[in-house]
Amino acid sequence: MSKNANPVQADKPSSVTGVQLAQGIGHQPAQSFWAEAWAQVFRRPAAVASIVWIAIVSFFAIYAPLIASSHPLMLRSEEGTSSPLIESLSAPDVALLVIGTLAPFFLFFRIGPLGFGPKLRLIIAASAQIGLVVVFARMIESTFTHRDAVGFVADWGRSDLFVPVSVALLCAVTMIPFLLISIFVYRSVGRSVFVLGVAIVAGGIVSWKWTPTLNNFDYRARESRGLVDATYTVVPYSHSHSMPAMFNRPPGATPLDAAWSRLEAWQRRTEGRSARYNEEELASIPITADTMQELRAIGRSVDGLVSYPMDEFVDQLESRVDDGQITNLIQMREAILEHDAPVHTIGTDTLGQDVLSQMMHACRLAISIGFVSTGIAVVIGVTIGALMGYFGGWVDLLLYRVVEIFMAIPVLFLLIVAAGLLPRNTYVMMAIIGCFTWTGAARFIRAEFMKLRHTDYVQAAQAMGLPLWSILFKHMLPNGVTPVLVESSFLIAAAILIEATLSFLGLGPTGQASWGSLLRNASGEAGGFLWWLAIFPGAAIFLTTLAYNLIGEALRDAIDPKLKKARV
Amino acid sequence: MGVYILRRLLLMIPTLIGITFVVFMIIALAPGGIGASLRVSGGEMEANTRAIREAYLEDRYGLDAPAPVQYVRWLGRISPIKFGTRDQIDPTGEFIRSPKTPKEPPLWSFFTEELPEDAEPVPYEFDLSAGLTDEQIAVQKSRAYRRQSQAYSQARAAMIANKALLDELIGRIADENALRGIRDSNGKIRYGVVERNKDVFENDARWQEVQAQGSVLIDAYDEAWRQWGILKGIFDAKPFPEAGFGNSWVSISSPDFGRSFTKSRPVVDLISDAIPITILLNLIATPIIYFIAIPCGMLAAVRAGSMFDRLSGAFFIALWSFPIPLAGVLAIGYLANNDYLGWFPVSGLHSTASEGYTYLPSVNTQGNWEPGYLLDLIWHVCLPVLCLVYGGFAILSKQTRAAMLDNFNMDYVRTAKAKGVAGNTIVMRHVFRNSLLPLITMFVSIFPAMLAGSVVIEQIFTVPGMGRLTLESINLRDRELLLANTLMIAGVNLIALLLADILYALADPRISYK
Repeated sequence: MSKNANPVQADKPSSVTGVQLAQGIGHQPAQSFWAEAWAQVFRRPAAVASIVWIAIVSFFAIYAPLIASSHPLMLRSEEGTSSPLIESLSAPDVALLVIGTLAPFFLFFRIGPLGFGPKLRLIIAASAQIGLVVVFARMIESTFTHRDAVGFVADWGRSDLFVPVSVALLCAVTMIPFLLISIFVYRSVGRSVFVLGVAIVAGGIVSWKWTPTLNNFDYRARESRGLVDATYTVVPYSHSHSMPAMFNRPPGATPLDAAWSRLEAWQRRTEGRSARYNEEELASIPITADTMQELRAIGRSVDGLVSYPMDEFVDQLESRVDDGQITNLIQMREAILEHDAPVHTIGTDTLGQDVLSQMMHACRLAISIGFVSTGIAVVIGVTIGALMGYFGGWVDLLLYRVVEIFMAIPVLFLLIVAAGLLPRNTYVMMAIIGCFTWTGAARFIRAEFMKLRHTDYVQAAQAMGLPLWSILFKHMLPNGVTPVLVESSFLIAAAILIEATLSFLGLGPTGQASWGSLLRNASGEAGGFLWWLAIFPGAAIFLTTLAYNLIGEALRDAIDPKLKKARV
Repeated sequence: MGVYILRRLLLMIPTLIGITFVVFMIIALAPGGIGASLRVSGGEMEANTRAIREAYLEDRYGLDAPAPVQYVRWLGRISPIKFGTRDQIDPTGEFIRSPKTPKEPPLWSFFTEELPEDAEPVPYEFDLSAGLTDEQIAVQKSRAYRRQSQAYSQARAAMIANKALLDELIGRIADENALRGIRDSNGKIRYGVVERNKDVFENDARWQEVQAQGSVLIDAYDEAWRQWGILKGIFDAKPFPEAGFGNSWVSISSPDFGRSFTKSRPVVDLISDAIPITILLNLIATPIIYFIAIPCGMLAAVRAGSMFDRLSGAFFIALWSFPIPLAGVLAIGYLANNDYLGWFPVSGLHSTASEGYTYLPSVNTQGNWEPGYLLDLIWHVCLPVLCLVYGGFAILSKQTRAAMLDNFNMDYVRTAKAKGVAGNTIVMRHVFRNSLLPLITMFVSIFPAMLAGSVVIEQIFTVPGMGRLTLESINLRDRELLLANTLMIAGVNLIALLLADILYALADPRISYK
């Protein structure tokens, strides 16, 4: 071979003959199957946009507690400086922040000898381990310190050793499965060190954030009394911060808007009319002492929502009324509204909770419910499908009846029943969505395994006397799992839609911000239509499911051999 | 073909049993268990009264039995083949079962040497004096049965009330003596524990009180047996016509879905009101999906790669991702709300004035134009059907396109082209007919999705169909209603799937189910 034909130096010819290809001209280095598939996905603008959107949602899923919180970032008082925001974080928040911040660095920077695939597996394993610790810690905490707990349960929950012993036990127990499965390397020393390290991190997070978080939002009231000085984050509202004075406010509303509309409503009430005033009528209504008194009363009711004392503001207004600067209601309105106050950028919901903050916090539910429930569905489906396809015969017959039961009834119907009857919490919802949507994956794997079980390499594996799990999951599965992994993108989309639908029906997890439950309040009880509660959460659900569907579509096209042939 | 259909129908039975079992187990697993709402509903009563009421309801609906037993009983009732004493059907269509025997009182060995003996049925003769019409006889029989049935349930209720009082007394004594593990997780007394710790109770100052309450309970038990004997006698005299046919061992009769716990109406009535509405919605929606999606898919396939193909593909995938609740809320908010367009009604299937309408549009007596029943219904159904339909487009049109493209590469198409067959004829006559098959199988995935989708849509548009009924039964934890709903939805779904398979065979002569 001449030096000119070196594939690295050769220009890319527009067409390559078979002879040239044999000489190495126009040769392209081989890529792994998935790398090639993803490279094709990245060639589609729609798929790239979808990935960007998912990345944005994931970003908020991780950082929402830092971005949107009623707890100030810094709280300065005479007792010293503290950060209620950091204090308010719960164990899952911290775990997600740690994983979410470290994982991308680890994944995309060349650290250590590992490739992309093993790194990804490491991250998934570590997240699963920390996730288990966090979830079980919350369960243990609530069982042992429950109000109705009796006997030794309550005694143990109150003892000093409770937290350290439970954390240590929990971390040790959750290590076991991860020590047993081979995650990334087969060297057991490296694995043990890694799993131990993760367990220590998880234990640290859990013992730091053992007790439930603060749920007291009186910072602004304390600020207006001059007791503290607070610095807030970008969106100064927590998703669970309910402000009764601020219910059903449109985008851009401030507490002063609420004060003004209550003043206007009071004015209407005193005149005994129900229709709203127009501008001219407002201009003709003078300011009386009663008006100011009412304004003062209204001011007190929104006092906890702004950082300055409302009384002083009303005093200011009063002096301007006395000076003759404000003579009618329209001037009063301008004076009230132009004053500085924290804004609800896209409005508030029926309970007076900030919509933007809820939208951000709901990202976590959307992302986690998509991934976890799909994970459960894929694991169940792959296991059952593998057994059906590999054994055939009566195993197939029996298990396929189970699949048929789930096909006989609309899955959404079954989910509505289960979600309506079982406890309303996130984990239960993930479990039921996972347990009722696995049949698709099972049927795919069954079909693949039926083909694969007669292939030579499987028969060789059987002849070598490999254990069943090794044949099924180490040899057959990697060759048959591709369609399931592609379909799982659609499954994630379906899970997000299902969660939204269930929350919309009022069967979603309680105490958790969710796009679906925001949407639920869009048709107000009085027959009004609160458009900001329909458009923003609805768009979020729509865009997220669309994104997953587009990625799934692009992936499917990328791995579909028929289409690939057509393209060449 | 007939054999195939029969086999499929028989295979439905295990599937239906499986599905109702899954739902039943979910109810049983739910916090509070079956009939939780029955317990919740007496929230403001005094604790004692509430315990009695709870015990009464549990007894009446058989909720005190373990969950698997309850399930088997339910199965026995809905099974068309029944064993044992035949049920009778009263004029309202309700099934009258042979009266349940009273339950043995707990801890009876504390209070008495031996229980009073079980009563035998007292033979009963209806007083059929001459000159009564058949109708009068029926009324008389029914009245006799009702009277005694009430007497028996009162006796039973008295027994249950006394048992509840005894339980309360025992519980209090156990608490005072710090006896642990006396109650199970539902707060019921564990009698085994009580028996093992009999000395604790005997040494308590209130043993006399327990004894007295116990003997009252035994008396009530005796009285319940006596009333049972009379009632059983009347039942055996057959006051109502017997259900179905057969003998006293095996009989065939229509399934008995029981009475709704909370609505106190027979479940069959509730469902027969609701199911036509759901089926109506789905029957309107399905053809619309097919009529719009198939031409779109065909056009996309014929012009594969064109702008239309790509745009329609993108548009359909967007529609597919569009959440039904959002579509419903937007439709109500913008199209039905009077603050915006207000073109359509917000809820329901009929306007309030529709009672007096004729079927077709007409001019009424005052000379005003009336839309009539049919137009009114269509006008109300527009938005729900719109929401039901749009999601199906995407799947079906993509499938049409894929099937058509597959066929375009076939040899027979090339042959047809070579023969000089016109392009349109190839598409319509050859390719389309061969692409029909996957479209029929698509019905299998579209129909269940729509049936479930209509749950959401019925909730949004307050259409009184199966979906709303199901949601209500879930919220009320109404066992009978929920199980019957599940059975109905699954049954309708399975029959639709069977129809799809039969159509498949009709459309493709190569397929036979022999």
